[in-house]
Amino acid sequence: MDLHARIQLVLGRLRPYLQADGGDIELLDVSGHKATVRLTGKCAGCPSAHLTLHVGVEMAIKEEIPELEELIVA
Amino acid sequence: MTRFEDPFKTSGSPESPRSASRGAGRGPFSTDSVVVGTSARMRGVFDFVKVIANSESTVLITGESGTGKELVANLIHHSSSRRHRPFVAVSCAILSETLIESELFGHERGAFTNAIKERPGRFELADGGTLFLDDIDDVPLTMQVKLLRVLQTRTVERVGAVRAIPVDVRVLTGSKRDLRVLVAEGAFREDLFYRLNVIPIQLPPLRERSEDIPMLVDHFFRRYFRSRGKELKPVSPAVLEAFRRYPWPGNVRELENACERIAQTCICDSVMAGCVPATVFFQKTAGAQPSVMSDPEHPAGVSLDDRIREVEANLIGWALKASDGNKSKAAALLKVKRSTLGDRIKKLGLGHLEHVAPDVSPAATPSTRGQ
Repeated sequence: MDLHARIQLVLGRLRPYLQADGGDIELLDVSGHKATVRLTGKCAGCPSAHLTLHVGVEMAIKEEIPELEELIVA
Repeated sequence: MTRFEDPFKTSGSPESPRSASRGAGRGPFSTDSVVVGTSARMRGVFDFVKVIANSESTVLITGESGTGKELVANLIHHSSSRRHRPFVAVSCAILSETLIESELFGHERGAFTNAIKERPGRFELADGGTLFLDDIDDVPLTMQVKLLRVLQTRTVERVGAVRAIPVDVRVLTGSKRDLRVLVAEGAFREDLFYRLNVIPIQLPPLRERSEDIPMLVDHFFRRYFRSRGKELKPVSPAVLEAFRRYPWPGNVRELENACERIAQTCICDSVMAGCVPATVFFQKTAGAQPSVMSDPEHPAGVSLDDRIREVEANLIGWALKASDGNKSKAAALLKVKRSTLGDRIKKLGLGHLEHVAPDVSPAATPSTRGQ
């Protein structure tokens, strides 16, 4: 399974909750050891959501995919 | 919502002196701020507290970190006839051996370097009231002897003193570990254990009473939205579902901190999944069965074979999902041969997992939105 699919798998654990509340998280790009995601829908413009999700999502992804070095929230 | 009813209808209890070694707390303790919840186990605890509040016996409160040991100790004190006298709480965890002695028993002037004036210990400060010794499982063996003597003679000797001072103190203790295990390991004195364990109270971890989570969330949000000067906001079912599934290793304290953080940071008109610290979504879900290990008096036996099969099935299920049902990759993830994995799958009847797309939705994803 490639890196892209593995990241999607981790994001998939969070996604149902976000979607239930009218939001979503999109995987925009994977290049090298960096991945870029974006919040869409309800939480898109919220600085608090940006921060709380960034930390938690990055931690969860790094735990399962150690070779990923950086998660960028666009 | 049920709140603890103070059987004596007291109000405005004098503020308790608190040990410098503990946190600043949340203002004077009030029985009104105690949320009982709906779980049978917590109702049992609170009913029991009413029964034993006026007893003079020692109480040993056992529970994981964050389950509310000090709150229960406070509740016992404030429901007892000692409630107009001091409640002194002290953690024995972060004090070195010599510090514990001077902290608990006090010292005379010049008893040691830096002892520039005499100082009463926690036992003396709690005179007439209640002393809560938390983290009793961290008290070193040599100190346990001294503690036992104090409990037997009801007198304390300050460090460097020649005479003993009589004290009238009800002693409550808190432990995050099962003291019986420590006794068996030789790390805790058996005689002291029996002296402390006259009335045992076990506090369940939050993951074993997840039915109380909505009520606790409501309680904490009321408290923290109010302290921020905001109206209480509705909480989305998705958030409550995530909270119910998360195992809360830090128990009620962790839940309280999460609620405080959300109340401080949320800028939308309701609390939604995006407002929640994301770690809550990624943790393994709370087991349906309470941990047997945490309950030494577990009434029903446990099948070791069943439990091992359960662990095996979970791990194989995880590996197959993570590798899109590809058995070779799953076997590599589990560090076993492909043929071994095949045998185990057959034995456990997990054939249906072999070629399925990964199922990533939580079993009970909320379908309704809003309230």
